[in-house]
Amino acid sequence: MEERLFRTAERLAERYRVEYFDIRISRAGLTSISLQNDRLEELSSNVEMGIGVRAFKGSWGFSSANDLSRAEDVIKMAMKIASLSSGSSKIYLGDPVRDDVEMLGRKKVSEVDLADKLSLVREAGSFLEGAAIKNRSVRYGDFVNEQVFINSLGSEIRTVVSRVRLSISATAHSAGEMQQYWKVFGGVGGFEIVEEVDLSHWGPFVARKAAELLKAASPPSGEFRVLMDPELTGVFIHEALGHAVEADSVKNGESILAGKLGEKIAVDGLTVVDNPTLPGKFGSYPYDDEGIKARRVEIIKDGVLREYLTDRETSAVLGLEPNGHGRAQSYAHQPLVRMSNTYVEPGDWSFDEMVEELRNGLYMIGDKGGEVDIANGTFTFGAKEGYLVENGKITKHLRDVSLSGGILDVLKSVMAIGRDVKVEFPGYCGKGQWVPVDDGGPHVLTKATVGGLK
Amino acid sequence: MLPDYIEKLVRILEREDVEWEIYWERGRSGSFSIERETLERAQRKFFSGIGLRIGLEGKVGFSYVSGLNHTNDTLENLVKRAIKLAKVGNVPFSGFPSPEKVEKVSDIYDPKIEEIPFEEAYELAEHFSSIMAEKKAELGSSYTFSGSLSMGFVHYGVLNSNGVELMEKSTGFSMSSYVVKKELKSGSGYYGQSYRSLKGWEERYSILEKALSLAEDSYNAELGKSYGGEVFLEPSAFLSVLSIFLENLRGDNVYHGRSRFSKPGEEVVSDILSIFDDSTVPGGVGSYSFDGEGSPGQRTPLVEKGILRGFVLDYTFASLMGYHSTGNAVRDFRTAPQIGFSNVVVEPGDYSEGEFEGVIISRVFGEHTANPASGDFSLTVELGYRVEDGEKIPIKGNMFVGNVFEVLKKAEAVGKRRERIGPAYVPGLVTSGKVV
Repeated sequence: MEERLFRTAERLAERYRVEYFDIRISRAGLTSISLQNDRLEELSSNVEMGIGVRAFKGSWGFSSANDLSRAEDVIKMAMKIASLSSGSSKIYLGDPVRDDVEMLGRKKVSEVDLADKLSLVREAGSFLEGAAIKNRSVRYGDFVNEQVFINSLGSEIRTVVSRVRLSISATAHSAGEMQQYWKVFGGVGGFEIVEEVDLSHWGPFVARKAAELLKAASPPSGEFRVLMDPELTGVFIHEALGHAVEADSVKNGESILAGKLGEKIAVDGLTVVDNPTLPGKFGSYPYDDEGIKARRVEIIKDGVLREYLTDRETSAVLGLEPNGHGRAQSYAHQPLVRMSNTYVEPGDWSFDEMVEELRNGLYMIGDKGGEVDIANGTFTFGAKEGYLVENGKITKHLRDVSLSGGILDVLKSVMAIGRDVKVEFPGYCGKGQWVPVDDGGPHVLTKATVGGLK
Repeated sequence: MLPDYIEKLVRILEREDVEWEIYWERGRSGSFSIERETLERAQRKFFSGIGLRIGLEGKVGFSYVSGLNHTNDTLENLVKRAIKLAKVGNVPFSGFPSPEKVEKVSDIYDPKIEEIPFEEAYELAEHFSSIMAEKKAELGSSYTFSGSLSMGFVHYGVLNSNGVELMEKSTGFSMSSYVVKKELKSGSGYYGQSYRSLKGWEERYSILEKALSLAEDSYNAELGKSYGGEVFLEPSAFLSVLSIFLENLRGDNVYHGRSRFSKPGEEVVSDILSIFDDSTVPGGVGSYSFDGEGSPGQRTPLVEKGILRGFVLDYTFASLMGYHSTGNAVRDFRTAPQIGFSNVVVEPGDYSEGEFEGVIISRVFGEHTANPASGDFSLTVELGYRVEDGEKIPIKGNMFVGNVFEVLKKAEAVGKRRERIGPAYVPGLVTSGKVV
């Protein structure tokens, strides 16, 4: 089918004088299971096929359908839309790539019985016990996407990427108070990713945390020295730096980091990487959705802004190397510049040294998501819990903590970077489309505004 | 009349000894993205599919197939898969709705959107970008304008083995504008609106002007001083805070013990507040005549004069909790029904914002980091104002912190002027709060 569609596309590209086109044909298998208390809420297993076609002639035309009998109409529509363009943008072309990559892990999810997946979900739920726990929730999802990418340069890339994710959460009630805690596991690979999770450790851990948070205090408010754990460092660096170095916002003149390549924007010793080639991480992929090979990008090296994250268009417009960060939610979406696995490289501080250095401030743990305004340079991010640190000692337990800061200030306020890097916090990042990402780093000591009730 | 493919599927289902529900849809969307005053991306997407739920021996199975033109074999397999999932899965089955009188909601379909040739839609987007280019030429290179325009239609239907058989057509149209002003410092403003008809196009200039005015204020704004006392939440900021509260009114959250509330009747917010979910608003962007299970759309009192009156429910959770569905099952063909809001309507009051002295919070972000169960939130102030002696001084970058239940209990006055923000109709609110 690909051969036939390619010939149709070539013929139409000539007719509409299109400079470049690409076609993605996808076949995705999805399983999702959701359990609330002991009640199974959802069990679904489906296969979906679709086609997405892009054509470029100074600007982009795109069309998609989830009905492959429309494939030729979709190709024609994308070309026709591009031909209406009066745009004058540019794209990177480069050499054709032919490859076939499978990332299915050791235990393919397609070969695991639905009953076994269900039994793992029930087992996970059974560990979320506790006197104060009124809601136990488990969600399992696997997603295997087989995608054939062909383009006008002669590229033909087949990728099969399998992602698995398991989240467990508990809600505790007591005397009118209510708190939640959760933990997410996942990555690129097979069923072994979730099978190897020690549920007998993490289930009681999550339930205990939810219950303990009922007694935790609201944090103070104002500017504080904040020690972030690896999970919070991940969301911090994703929000405080990652979005502002996505080159579409740079190209459009929106990002506060536009025009700052080569400038020192952070403290010495801070190195930040986005790496889609890390084995097994949730944001990993072999090629992006524009057929560019994924590669490690050193965004900041020792405090200096070295590279933006780019796609075919932004690299050509900004005169940079493409680095494989054009990602799409599905065949029905156009690729946008996105992060993959973003993390802070290790420093040389031990945890105890950092608590001592913090002296008085807050130790914040866990990711509750974040958001950024890249034009104004402000961002916010939430922690699942925290502790007050007084005279170098960890004291009172804190709950419901959100923090905020200015991108340009906070990167220069980093005071210490730990040795203990972890990149194992799978999640989804939204930017009009949702894509799987991972992030992390070591413990990091910085300053931020804390929005507490006290 | 039912489409052929649905009749074919019904015939297969009628051979099986099961209860069944079919949800089908077919539609098209087109969207345009404007970057640096230039139309950079245009797209047209086609989507269609069938979602099937099967009820069998007290269990339910759900499966879907994308596209509509299928062979008998594909449809047979869809039925087999849904039956198998019901057997394997053990998801409890609460039944499907029975037919009820459904009133058509007016003005949710504009044939012009379904019929518009792509070239004409493209011209509208080009025109929108040219307005931005003209504005930039007038104001200078420190301004960057971007935006989007999109439109689409969908035909959809629900039918089940109890005799529900409903079909509807709806359309949508939306525009947005994002303005960045950058010199030695920077500011930005976003404004977008959605509609059911192409008549929304008439508001293109005001959308751009609103984004521009927000960008100007944001450019002039600076970090405000810490403050505690009376605050005026403009409709956008009030809606952000309200969205945290509303999570507690979803029937599934109540049933599963994730809500603050368990039953109607208690006073939950200030007695000056009344909040409804209303899917019957003519032309409302969240409106529908029937929900994703075929239950009629309705106006549901959630809070009246501070008293909790009800929750938003689909058929399943209504059955489990002993209520009647409020027609709030939302879905597409890929998903089994889930509870969602339609149009959220907050009754206006008599407060005129011109009288206010204190801190105005205009726009915030970060709602998803809040904890709906405890109600505690800390949101970043994207834009606000300090009002002193009638003078409005813009602020940004602070955090607005509080507890949603307390903020709504302390509400002192509700604004007279109500704004529509997509599917929500929201006035401003005077309450007390803390800004750090």
